[in-house]
Amino acid sequence: MKTRPSRRGVVTGGVAAALSLALAACGGGTGGGATTAPSAAPSASAAVQDALAKPAELTFWTWVTGIEKTVARFQAKYPNIKVNVVNAGQSADQYTKLQTAIKAGSGAPDVAQIEYFALPQFALAKQVVNLSDYGAAALKDKFAPAAWGQVAINGGVFGIPQDTGPMAMFYRKDIFDKLKLKPPTTWAEFIDTAKKIKADNPDNFLTSIDPGDAGGVDSLIWQAGGAPFKTSGESSVSVTLATDPGVKQWVGTWNTLLSEKLVDPQPGWTDEWWKGMGSGKYAAWLTGAWAPNGIINSIPKTKGKWAVAPMPQYDAAKPMNAENGGSSVAVIPQSKNIPAAVAFAEWLNSDPEAVKSLNTEAGLFPATKALLDDPAFRDTPQEFFGGQKINQVLGDASAAVRADWQYLPFQVYANSIFKDTVGQAVDGGGDLSAALKSWQDRITAFGTEQGFTLSGG
Amino acid sequence: MTAPAVRAGLPRPFLRLRVAGYAFFLPFFVVFLVAVVAPLAYAIYLSFFQDRMIGGTVFSGLANYTRAISDALFGAGLLRVALFLVVQVPVMLLIALGCALAIDSGRLRWPSLFRITIFMPYAVPAVVSALMWGYIYGDQFGLVGQIGDALGVAAPNLMSRSWMLGSIGNMVTWEFVGYNMIILYAALRAIPEELYEAAEMDGAGAIRIAWSVKLPALRPALLVATIFSIIGSFQLFNEPNILQTLAPAVITTSYTPNMYAYSLAFNGQQINYSAAVAVVLGLVTVVVAYAVQILTARREKTL
Repeated sequence: MKTRPSRRGVVTGGVAAALSLALAACGGGTGGGATTAPSAAPSASAAVQDALAKPAELTFWTWVTGIEKTVARFQAKYPNIKVNVVNAGQSADQYTKLQTAIKAGSGAPDVAQIEYFALPQFALAKQVVNLSDYGAAALKDKFAPAAWGQVAINGGVFGIPQDTGPMAMFYRKDIFDKLKLKPPTTWAEFIDTAKKIKADNPDNFLTSIDPGDAGGVDSLIWQAGGAPFKTSGESSVSVTLATDPGVKQWVGTWNTLLSEKLVDPQPGWTDEWWKGMGSGKYAAWLTGAWAPNGIINSIPKTKGKWAVAPMPQYDAAKPMNAENGGSSVAVIPQSKNIPAAVAFAEWLNSDPEAVKSLNTEAGLFPATKALLDDPAFRDTPQEFFGGQKINQVLGDASAAVRADWQYLPFQVYANSIFKDTVGQAVDGGGDLSAALKSWQDRITAFGTEQGFTLSGG
Repeated sequence: MTAPAVRAGLPRPFLRLRVAGYAFFLPFFVVFLVAVVAPLAYAIYLSFFQDRMIGGTVFSGLANYTRAISDALFGAGLLRVALFLVVQVPVMLLIALGCALAIDSGRLRWPSLFRITIFMPYAVPAVVSALMWGYIYGDQFGLVGQIGDALGVAAPNLMSRSWMLGSIGNMVTWEFVGYNMIILYAALRAIPEELYEAAEMDGAGAIRIAWSVKLPALRPALLVATIFSIIGSFQLFNEPNILQTLAPAVITTSYTPNMYAYSLAFNGQQINYSAAVAVVLGLVTVVVAYAVQILTARREKTL
């Protein structure tokens, strides 16, 4: 008795997968998908709208705390659709479960949170639904270009942007004021400021860098104008960590910072690190715009001491910025009700009421233009930051993001072996360019083994 | 009348016995098949294939095995746990032995309190203990750092490259001394009273009794504890995996063979190669454990 429903689950899962394969083949085969989209989209997007009125039950995997409140708003508006919010672990832990469930053919959710860096991997393996088959391409203009650029992969749309993390410099105004320092606007000034902080107290640092956080370094390289990862077509990948000019800019600055011990190679988000952030051991944190929530919750005693400034620049005449973190919401082909799942994902991340709730009730930094440009959002002074209107700085940071950055179609693995290679140099004060070369070599070996054609130097 | 009946019935009790025997054996056998044999067979089956993101699954014969044998990362991890084994296991078993002998000596004031206290860490989940030790080891704001501050000396960073294996050894010892102590203590309780009486009559003191009566009697239990510890060392995973977030550059993805297999399977989607690594690791463990058993058996014969 018990095996029957699960067997049926396998069958329908298989059918759904086959269907999505067929759809994806339509989209890709004609070269660009522009010819098939108009004929397919209207009926598909109508099905998505219709789905909101029909009874359905959806499972949504996410690790965003507080998102239940936004989901509750959806349920209030569309009472026919029941959404079960499940926290299946954070980032790589969740991807492991998700991939296992997808391979097993049952047990996967209908909708799942997937970070931008991991999305290409799921998209390439056809483990997420191409939402442009359901008319989602029409949402493009609602989102910040950098956010949309992360979900538009290979001519398809594989997720709806949920939040973004344009980089900014969060700094301790009290420490800067005491030492009569101004937030550095260029990386050369950043090195000077780091020296002054060190001269004041050799135990303190301007900032720390996490030897295990590939995402942080990816973002710094992105901000330096780097483009070390490129995918063309479905199987051609180029990795240029050793030669890319933007990567070299980053290496120049950070080799100095690390070899002169001006920054602390310390894993982030640990108890020790937060204590360092609270005690003033670190005077600044270069990170995504989602950071205020973490600071407010983890070190509430530093209230009034923080301020936000734009990222330091390599060329002040051509300011550039990057994203750090941020997630999309994707639909899993196993879903028994893909139109309802798409409708939910779209509403959750683009409806004005929903995005406002995501920002104020779940603490996410917005991905939609409407909210980023909303005066009520931009011009509200933040008490924790001494009354600074931080969203003006962060909103401008979002507008400055280079939209052409790409992640590898196997970035999850590439990021996991960062600590084996670049992390060694970050931690031990070795040469970053040699370490980047060894990261590149391991990425190349893995990619080749996985059947990709790799190029680069 | 009776004779043929008896003759015909002769095999029957045997048959019934046989059926009953199988019936008792069956529940274990089913669980054994489902929980041990099937996953093992499936892992071995998987290890003969290669699943690629581009190109799908292909049969690859022994390719995964030849790769595993020459894989430098896997080799380095194996050497690391072997070093761990050679240092940590003797230290842990000596402490456990000392504790077991102390409880058995009857000279402790509250032997059961002593026993419970030493055993307690075994009851703490490995994940919790790793988090706890991670806090203790912190050289800035952790306990070690605070003690260093109080004494006015710079505390060593126990999670640095040179200290890490020792720090993990310390955690594992703390966790498993009590467990091994119980194994040894149980063996000590099984020594017949007469042996002690005879030794006392021969004029042996407490230390002489421990050396000449208790230790030889403990040998089988020590062997069991050693084999368990060998397996445990090769399977080292929880402690380094938790400490990885605190020291990502020290504990790499291939720090121990099990961590390597995990990383391959779950971060790299290389389930097939990971299965081959796991099978080779299992074989190495079996060979080492068996070698230890044979060596001790041979020594016992010569003694």
